[in-house]
Amino acid sequence: MNGKEKITENTSTHEHISSYAEHFGTWVALILLTLMTVFISTFGADLRTLTVATALLIATVKALAVALYFMHLKYDAKIYRAWMIIVMALFVFFLFMVTLDYITR
Amino acid sequence: MSETVVQQPSFFQVKKGLFSWIFTLDHKRIGILYLYSIGFFFLVAAGLGILMRLELLNPGRDFIEAQTYNQVFTLHGVIMIFLFIIPSVPAVFGNFFLPIMLGTDDVAFPRLNLFSWWLYILGALFALSTLVFGDGPADTGWTFYAPYSVKTGTNVTTSVLAAFILGFSSILTGLNFIVTIHRLRTPGMGFNQMPLFAWALYATSWIQLLATPVIGITLLMIVAERVFGIGLFDPSIGGDPILYQHLFWIYSHPAVYIMALPAMGIVSEIIPTFAQRTIFGYKAIAYSSMAIAFVGYFVWGHHMFTSGMSGPAAIVFSIMTFFVAIPTAVKVFNWVATLYKGSIDIQVPLLFALAFIFNFLIGGLTGLVLGALAADVHVHDTYFVVGHFHYVMFGGAGFAFFGALHYWFPKMWGRMYNKKVANTAFALLFIGFNTTYFPMLILGLKGMPRRYYDYLPEFHDLNMLSTFGSWILVTGIIVMVINLFAGGIKGKKASANPWNGITLEWQTASPPPLHNFDKMPELPAGGPYNYPNAKNASH
Repeated sequence: MNGKEKITENTSTHEHISSYAEHFGTWVALILLTLMTVFISTFGADLRTLTVATALLIATVKALAVALYFMHLKYDAKIYRAWMIIVMALFVFFLFMVTLDYITR
Repeated sequence: MSETVVQQPSFFQVKKGLFSWIFTLDHKRIGILYLYSIGFFFLVAAGLGILMRLELLNPGRDFIEAQTYNQVFTLHGVIMIFLFIIPSVPAVFGNFFLPIMLGTDDVAFPRLNLFSWWLYILGALFALSTLVFGDGPADTGWTFYAPYSVKTGTNVTTSVLAAFILGFSSILTGLNFIVTIHRLRTPGMGFNQMPLFAWALYATSWIQLLATPVIGITLLMIVAERVFGIGLFDPSIGGDPILYQHLFWIYSHPAVYIMALPAMGIVSEIIPTFAQRTIFGYKAIAYSSMAIAFVGYFVWGHHMFTSGMSGPAAIVFSIMTFFVAIPTAVKVFNWVATLYKGSIDIQVPLLFALAFIFNFLIGGLTGLVLGALAADVHVHDTYFVVGHFHYVMFGGAGFAFFGALHYWFPKMWGRMYNKKVANTAFALLFIGFNTTYFPMLILGLKGMPRRYYDYLPEFHDLNMLSTFGSWILVTGIIVMVINLFAGGIKGKKASANPWNGITLEWQTASPPPLHNFDKMPELPAGGPYNYPNAKNASH
């Protein structure tokens, strides 16, 4: 089975099997990013107001790594990536509207 | 085709005994398990509704104390919303018919499907346990608004946990349906060849999957606030009660479409079958389901116009609300256009579908009144909202559920109910429903507030009328239930295709065999509703 093969919709039964190296590399990246989060919040990397934003950015990168590699989004049909973007956009809208209400009350 | 097809035993006949049902992995049996469970809770909650209407027959206390009345309407709402109307169509008819309509033998994750049902039962036990444990059922209303829900001594924690567990059941059903639709459609069936009921379930499933976790977390926050006093929602300890309303309605408004969209899917199946005519605007109906699901995420704030939310946010939400009306109107237009010049056969399922359109139009148009900022301020928390809500939920989703029950009954049980009695039950339901709920719209406009066991004398006449209507309504429910039970036990044998339908469920036996089809189903040429072709097809 070709590792680059895409999973398609119901017309095909092809599967993608990720290599151990890819899984291991993703895991290492997640561990490093976790250590970075701990370092920033605990050991006084002086980012001031950017501390929360940096933590959120790292968390987003980690979530993307899990979705793309562990959950095979990278190899799946494009529609699933589209759905993920829609979901993230909805989440941003939720935050935007609640914040709009809060700051204009 | 020269192959010999051997008629397989039906899914009822394959195995017998209680365990063969409660541990079944067959999507059809799970659908029927849901039907009996959901039907039971519907009758319980309807009984509570009748109690409320009896109390409201006259002003003042008749036979229920104020506190008991608060608990009765809360339990009525929690059961009707979380145990009946949200799971109703997807869990019963989605489970039973989605795989068959897609030409496959089961949902993608049968074990997860059974687990969903068990979670439903567990959640139901939690909800009912509030009757006997602790300080009685919650008295907050089904919305559990903070800070009252944080402070009341009644059994809010257990009620909230019930809704939390039921939410997981809903999420897993949605997940199962999305994967089934993407992965298990029969070869040759693209998205645009799917029946419209499948499209409606697809849109619904995305709401179940994406919105339900929000209410799950929010309800846990209520528990955390009650147990640990964190200060999330209670302003006396630094919380924000409007934040609770945001989080609650971010789920609960899209949840309205969890209730309404599958109902619209049913109407989209019934109308072309009984008009024997290709559906008008297939893609418009299919995509409008997705549009409703999508736009439905942006309008939750219209429930909060009087909460103290800011003006700019309220204006944005009010404008967004009017957008939802567009795809809904597209559907209604297409249904009516399908009937135009059709060969209309007026059978009970069609009557329910037409009643759905009538009731849902009243529900939808009164919704626009509530979505308009200035009008909402006057009618918010009045009986106008109660009337509007019941027109959408009961007159819409409930009537579609009954319509689906009569439409697919012969397929599910292989027998036909008594059609004359079914017509009588429909008439009682339709008259009873409108007599019960239309007066509420007028009462609300005249200023009667909701959620009180008492009212001013000038509201007496319309309340009496509404209570009389509830007696007609409950008579209709009783007649319908008895007729369906009798039909299931000793009704005339039904053929495989009694309505001359052409979606795939009508190609298999009634009731279907365990693996749904004795032979590979043939997709109707020209799409799922191409009726001129169908006249040459099977049966």
